[in-house]
Amino acid sequence: MSGFVTVAKLNDLPENDLKGLIVDGVAIVLINRDGVIYALEDSCSHEEFPLSAGDLVGCEITCSLHGARFDIETGVPRALPAVLPVRTFEVQVEGDDIKVNLTEAA
Amino acid sequence: MNNTTAAARTDAVLPKWNFAQFASELTEPAPLTSARKAAWKRYSELPFPTRKVEEWRYTDISTIDFELLTPAIRTEEIDEELPADVREILSQSGDRAGVVVYQDGCVVHVELDQVLADAGVILCSLAQAAENHPELLQQALFETRPSTAEEKLWTLHLAILSGGYLLHVPPGVELPAPIHTFNTLKTPGLLTSTHSLIMMEKSARAAVIEEFISEDLDEQTVSLHGASVHCKDSAGIEYVTVQQYGRGVAHFSTQHTVAHHNAKSITFNVGLGADLSRADVTSRLLGPGSDSEMLALWFGDAQQHFDHHTLQHHKAPHAHSDLLFKGALTDKASSVFRGLIQVDVGAQLTDAYQTNRNLLLSEGSHATALPNLEIEADDVRCSHGATIGQVDNTQLFYLMSRGLTQRQAERLLVFGFFDEVLGRLPMAGVRERIRGAIEEKIGL
Amino acid sequence: MPQNETIKELGLDEYKYDFVTDDKPVFRAVPGLSEEIVRQISAHKEEPEWMLEFRLKAYEIYESKPMPEWGGDLSTLEATLDNIYFYLKPQDQMERSWDDVPQEIKDTFDKLGIPEAERKALAGVGAQYESEMVYHSLKEQWEEQGVIFDSIEDGLRNHPDLFKQYFATVIPQADNKFSALNSAVWSGGSFVYIPKGVKVEIPLQAYFRVNSERMGQFERTLIIVDEGADAHYVEGCTAPVYTTESFHSGVIEIIVKKGGNFRYTTIQNWSNNMYNLVTQRAMVHEDAKMEWLDGNLGSKLTMKYPSCYLVGEGAHGEILSIAYAGDGQHQDTGGKVVHAAPHTTSQITSKSISRGEGRASYRGLCKVYDGALDAKSNVECDALLLDETSRTDTYPYIEIDENTASIGHEATVSKVGDEQIFYLMSRGLDEAEAMAMIVRGFIEPVAKELPLEYAIELNRLIELEMEGSVG
Repeated sequence: MSGFVTVAKLNDLPENDLKGLIVDGVAIVLINRDGVIYALEDSCSHEEFPLSAGDLVGCEITCSLHGARFDIETGVPRALPAVLPVRTFEVQVEGDDIKVNLTEAA
Repeated sequence: MNNTTAAARTDAVLPKWNFAQFASELTEPAPLTSARKAAWKRYSELPFPTRKVEEWRYTDISTIDFELLTPAIRTEEIDEELPADVREILSQSGDRAGVVVYQDGCVVHVELDQVLADAGVILCSLAQAAENHPELLQQALFETRPSTAEEKLWTLHLAILSGGYLLHVPPGVELPAPIHTFNTLKTPGLLTSTHSLIMMEKSARAAVIEEFISEDLDEQTVSLHGASVHCKDSAGIEYVTVQQYGRGVAHFSTQHTVAHHNAKSITFNVGLGADLSRADVTSRLLGPGSDSEMLALWFGDAQQHFDHHTLQHHKAPHAHSDLLFKGALTDKASSVFRGLIQVDVGAQLTDAYQTNRNLLLSEGSHATALPNLEIEADDVRCSHGATIGQVDNTQLFYLMSRGLTQRQAERLLVFGFFDEVLGRLPMAGVRERIRGAIEEKIGL
Repeated sequence: MPQNETIKELGLDEYKYDFVTDDKPVFRAVPGLSEEIVRQISAHKEEPEWMLEFRLKAYEIYESKPMPEWGGDLSTLEATLDNIYFYLKPQDQMERSWDDVPQEIKDTFDKLGIPEAERKALAGVGAQYESEMVYHSLKEQWEEQGVIFDSIEDGLRNHPDLFKQYFATVIPQADNKFSALNSAVWSGGSFVYIPKGVKVEIPLQAYFRVNSERMGQFERTLIIVDEGADAHYVEGCTAPVYTTESFHSGVIEIIVKKGGNFRYTTIQNWSNNMYNLVTQRAMVHEDAKMEWLDGNLGSKLTMKYPSCYLVGEGAHGEILSIAYAGDGQHQDTGGKVVHAAPHTTSQITSKSISRGEGRASYRGLCKVYDGALDAKSNVECDALLLDETSRTDTYPYIEIDENTASIGHEATVSKVGDEQIFYLMSRGLDEAEAMAMIVRGFIEPVAKELPLEYAIELNRLIELEMEGSVG
């Protein structure tokens, strides 16, 4: 597997919504913030809970288990109890296709 | 996530085998079968432990589909001859008072020194014990109450028991050499369940060393093992297990030791093999003056995971217990130690100690330690200590300055680290056997 | 902040300023919790919209989280929560009269030599200890240095940006059930900001903050110690605090930035009907140092584990904890250290005493993440048992993912030796004095770190307790 792969349709991801999916065994969460798409590893760095079960507030995603928050662009933690970043992935939108580069962290 | 997997599995009604059919194929006394059925019923009611259960928080067994494994069916084909591979090992391991050999979870050979047999010592398969002493099995084995967290695997262990032995040492009899047992696995995909039932009458003494051996197996294979060790007044037991299974195997061992007035029990668990190895070791001090020593060491490499749960349960006053568990990890290996000293109301003058030490030799290794105390008597001396760290750099550099490679120096220090535990085993022959096994594993 | 504001302008006279204006919504206290109560609290405090949303979200989380099944016995808590008032105006809080205060509490005040005015404050029947003058001169001095030391409400009102930047970043709503509850209904507490490089010599004491709601059931404190700053904050008191309320759940958030140095001392001595469930946590950055000094003497059940998250290289965390569990009390306390950066170090020292049917539990976490090179942590727990009915537990969690870490944990449990008692009695002490002396010696490593007046009170308190314990 290399480069960008299509993982979802833009139509399926309304603005300011998020969606968890598994691509080639990697759990990712796709986020549509005001029309810009972000992709992060779908696992909180605190206790590996899926971030896709949480909320998007501004440019942060909140883990619903203990409230840890991450910057959706960089994956950097913005609130404890998480202290480590989560992986982020490069995203390209071509037409209605959302493509994510899973080969390396963005 | 783990939860849903486990829940789905619990609902499945044995896709590959069903218990009624399993039970119907057994040829054994009816009370044993009905005890199995009771255990099976309880097993069926319980969920598999998930990581949400505190005692299983660091060990994930949701990836093991127990009910897709093939249960070993007890066969009773006792061979008069020692299997060749076992004879080879025994030729190097000094004197012995008796031997039990399992293959794929079933007893295939039992022998006992005639002098001891004449003195009234019993060493026989559990199947024979069920014929001759059904009440003993009922009381000493099937009535054992496991903790809630252990109960699922314990009831499975009893329900599908594939082999086991009874050692009964009459009052005052002392075994001059250890009983040596070999639990060998050959068939991948099996689920075996073996049990050691040890009854020490007043002032009896014995040592038992159990070895668990296999090659690497290319399919998930599970070994369930239980030990019930009963020491009457002033009895003494040394109970040692050396687990050297190959990769592909998961090993779950539940050991209950009971010590009455002035009895002394020593348990020693050596963990070297398997992908996943869990030992629940409980020692109950029921009589004043009783003494329990609990020892363990493990060395993990690759992605091995070792999980040790211990309970030092002081129910009687004036008892002593001392635990020393040491582990070393390299590569991406991980380990858990969770130990509890529980001192009941009225168990005054308890002396209880618990020590867990861990060496992390590689960047990817990790260790978790949870040394717990629950003390409900006041006139006690209890302490616990846990450390996690690396080998001492000064010592390492010293050894390297003497011409050893870093790896050699490190392994030598690990060996030294383990020697403190080994030194506490009274029987020299057993000590040497364990040293050999460790050397083989860590490649000195 | 201007230097010459009057007391009133500073918001010291918050009572009038805050609650007696006619245009405020009328607030009627009813027991139990509902979304309506949460909305009323926020409206009454005239909060910005984001805070109302924050509270409502927290309420939703609180409702969805199960009661913890570990720690102390919380089986009757649910029923307790149905009957408590989640928000009371300060006027209502003061409606209780001195006559309602139980005699035993009054006697203890007497024996401790607590001044009259202070007694009423401690018993919740009067205004705060009248220390305006002391406080005023201190506050002027601090303000010259740019230090902010306000009620949490004033912090939100007067420093909205600073407040919002840090609030709930250390302890989010969803952290645990009780942080969610506090986030929904918080009221009272302190907002503290120590600017870069500023050293505050005299401890900041919630004690001095006139008319504060520091004894609030759901106080919320946010403290930001900027780079290179240095301060000590003291909360609570050793004298017994009497309240008819039976539930207290505070959230204390602290950020110590690069090179900062901060100590937070709290001594709680709530009356023995109190569930005291507090979350206090510090985020400690590069080369900064955080110390928690935590004393738990009162309450029916306390569950409190001060935490240091060492997120910057070279950060250091220390937790010193003493717990006294008398008859019928359960102190489930301890500390947590999380090492998430290289060369971080920590020390936890816990001393507990159980007497009668008291139970003292140490519960702690030492977590070292992969990459926290050469992290060092040491934990020492000592438990002293005074009676055969006393109980002590130790439940440390040590999770190490970094092989260069060096971690040690030790715990011992012992009883007061008869020989020690006999020896001291042979030197002319009576049994209670001997016991008090041994207990004092036992907690001395912690007591010596306390501000003097606290240490003196603590000593007197131990004597009183020991008088009741023997003979």
